[in-house]
Amino acid sequence: MIAAGLIERGLNHLVQQTPGAAATLRRHTGMSVRFDLALAQVDLRIADDGCFSEAAIDTPDATIRPTPALLARLPFLGREALRDADYQGDAALLATLDRVFRQLDWDVEADLAPLVGDAAAHRLHRLGRDARDGLARALSGMGHSAGEYLVEEVELMAREIDVARFNHGVDELADAVARLEARVHRLEQPAA
Amino acid sequence: MDKTTHFGYQEVAESEKAAKVAEVFHSVATRYDLMNDLMSAGLHRLWKRFAVAQAGLRPGMKVLDVAGGTADLTRLFLKEVGDSGTVLLTDINFSMLREGRDRMLNEGRTPPAVQCDGERLPFPDNHFDCVSVAFGLRNMTHKDQALAEMRRVLKPGGRLLVLEFSRVWKPLEPAYDLYSFKLLPLIGEVVAQDRDSYQYLAESIRMHPGQEELKAMMEAAGFVRVRYHNLTAGVVALHKGFKI
Repeated sequence: MIAAGLIERGLNHLVQQTPGAAATLRRHTGMSVRFDLALAQVDLRIADDGCFSEAAIDTPDATIRPTPALLARLPFLGREALRDADYQGDAALLATLDRVFRQLDWDVEADLAPLVGDAAAHRLHRLGRDARDGLARALSGMGHSAGEYLVEEVELMAREIDVARFNHGVDELADAVARLEARVHRLEQPAA
Repeated sequence: MDKTTHFGYQEVAESEKAAKVAEVFHSVATRYDLMNDLMSAGLHRLWKRFAVAQAGLRPGMKVLDVAGGTADLTRLFLKEVGDSGTVLLTDINFSMLREGRDRMLNEGRTPPAVQCDGERLPFPDNHFDCVSVAFGLRNMTHKDQALAEMRRVLKPGGRLLVLEFSRVWKPLEPAYDLYSFKLLPLIGEVVAQDRDSYQYLAESIRMHPGQEELKAMMEAAGFVRVRYHNLTAGVVALHKGFKI
């Protein structure tokens, strides 16, 4: 029940914030879509106002099964929304959903403004965006460094077995030098 | 002879129950909100917000708040439906309704408030997008009739939300019983000078159907896809069902 409520509320919030999304969905008023999640099924019908409304449906017009690959690509930000989903049903409805989902954009600043005021909302949003961009840059940098290390530097680095072999060689050389020193010392002594 | 029903742990004639319940709420109306905060440590506000979040309301929708009392849910619903929507506050008890209406007037809002019986709703068929009853069904004499009425006034596709005390998680029962039957009447006596009403509250909670029973009652009344969610270990449960 919680999943259904959250998905319905979240989707409608985004639909209402995204210009044109509700108008696009209104063309399919009355049609239904089932989100087949791993633990629950969420049935939504497109209402007269172009928003989603939780509904009791036996046979939905379209069914979408999100996959981990699809969830990893959220938010879609203009990319194909349903590329990694399993889906079936009315092709026109699915095409519209794909188009609408890729347009959905969360206006964080608008949601924060009533709580903290316009100026603070703008600053908080900018801080969050900078933090997100900074984190993305840091992760990208780390990935780049790791790739460079693996491709180029790892071959130049001494492996553990090489170090052990080197140490063994040094030990053998030290022993040989000690023996040589002892022999030279004995030869230098006058014959009895 | 008149059929009997329960009023807390007492058996009373069906025709007497409404008057007895009315007496309880006349008595507690002025301290109702304060007592709710004290009894639930403020949790009732979260339970109600959760219920509203599950209502799926959007601007322009029509909502009926049955047994809405001091208008806690009505005020939250109003935020969701906006100026283009309608929220009707109803209660059978004039004292409770007056508290709710005055509270909204003090906040500069004037939604309609209607005194009516939840078992005989004076509204047309297929009229509301959402009907809610929070902590009210328990006090109704004919719950099945009330559920049928709520279904009648809902539009096809509309949803009913029932927020009500329910069966607490078994391991917590002893502590909950101790709280309900010892501490609750005491708080009632000290704060509202009314021990009996809060004794009735504790008893009526025990007599109210549990989660599965209420789900079955809603299904029998014609609701489909009835689901419930326990809140605070089952102290309260939110049931949601749809009319098709």
